[in-house]
Amino acid sequence: MTALRAAALAAALCLGGCALLSDPPQTAALLKSAPAGLPPQAERREVPFFPQTRYHCGPAALATVLVDVGLKTDPDQLADAVFLPAREGSLQIEMLGATRRQGAVATKLPGELPLLLQEVAAGHAVVVLQNLGLDIAPRWHYAVLVGYDLAAREVILRSGTTERERLPLRTFEFTWARGGHWAFAALPPGRLPATAREADALEGAIGFERSAPPAQAATAYRALLQRWPGNLLAGIGLGNTLVAAGELPAAAQAFDAVAQRHDSAVAWNNLARIRLSLGDVPGARAAAERAVQRAQKAEPAFLAAARDTLAATSAAP
Amino acid sequence: MSLFRRTIARLLAASLVFSGMAQAAPGPLLIGTEQAAVAMQAVAPSETHARLAAALDRVELASALQARGVTPDQLRGRINALTDVEAKQLLEQIDQAPAGGDILGIIFTIFIILLVTDILGLTKVFPFTRSVR
Repeated sequence: MTALRAAALAAALCLGGCALLSDPPQTAALLKSAPAGLPPQAERREVPFFPQTRYHCGPAALATVLVDVGLKTDPDQLADAVFLPAREGSLQIEMLGATRRQGAVATKLPGELPLLLQEVAAGHAVVVLQNLGLDIAPRWHYAVLVGYDLAAREVILRSGTTERERLPLRTFEFTWARGGHWAFAALPPGRLPATAREADALEGAIGFERSAPPAQAATAYRALLQRWPGNLLAGIGLGNTLVAAGELPAAAQAFDAVAQRHDSAVAWNNLARIRLSLGDVPGARAAAERAVQRAQKAEPAFLAAARDTLAATSAAP
Repeated sequence: MSLFRRTIARLLAASLVFSGMAQAAPGPLLIGTEQAAVAMQAVAPSETHARLAAALDRVELASALQARGVTPDQLRGRINALTDVEAKQLLEQIDQAPAGGDILGIIFTIFIILLVTDILGLTKVFPFTRSVR
């Protein structure tokens, strides 16, 4: 009887122990067969290091990636932009906001380990959110992924007060998974992360438009259009930022291209407004009519704006 | 009545405090990129409704951040850097969202937790622990 119980206990312990000791799914898949084209090892040794002070891993990680792409800032300055005293830490959304204010586009990355490593291999340091503790006792932490070594099964991070932290790949995945597989790249406008998805890249550019000088925001949208020429909102963003930069003819050209390609009410409407500003009243009226037609047919949210624009073209001399 | 007054007060606050920062439209007559994105992706009653709601969210977010220790001179820059969608998300999750912060003392904490779960027989991380069962 005792022997039976001992055996059952041993079996249970083994099961539990084996589950804990086995690799998490992405690590297991990655070590079994790495994706073609992923170098077995990569490290960006030149990425700077800012040791964190208490609670300030957010500003430290942010300074690391921003200074790495040539922007001038430091953790103290960034703490004013991200640190939330009552929470004794920095929230993810504010990390993205602060990146933009410093002149870089913050783009969220897919939550897949092979892609994350590919991003590093492409030369981009990446901010990751880890939960170093457990779900029941979380220890949230931002670090910067700067390298990896598949043969040694480890990643290399700028983390906390450790300049070159080597963490087993599986431990990294556990902590990153508990952080929601969250990561982002901070790059100057015009440079897109290698692995970003279209929707995330768009979100990054739209956020950047909010804080950036218009000409820089236009650069970000151009980069997006170069990789995804059919992106409607990137086309609209390019037009809007060119208007804000005072480049009306170029803006008209951008909106014309979007309007022709997508028959978008927003593009027709904005094109009409710009033609009006440029003194092309017949052209403006034609575009405004298309805007109203399209809004009636498929984009009711913009019907009021389109009608206003049409009225303005009729009132113009 | 009180709801009406509160709404008016918030509207006034929105227009006074955040005039010019609530939206990122390139000109008053153009439809902004964010507005286009919101209206295309979500079901908003109208573009005007969406803008108004977003402006109110920003006012609330400002007081929420201030209540959590952000100084007034930092508020504008921090809120202005967020899109309408992000401002709304931040407002909703400000006390629940992960706050990356402390790394100090962590090893000891994890050690204790895992030690306890080991002793309870829930885990088997350390070679020197023995389950109580």
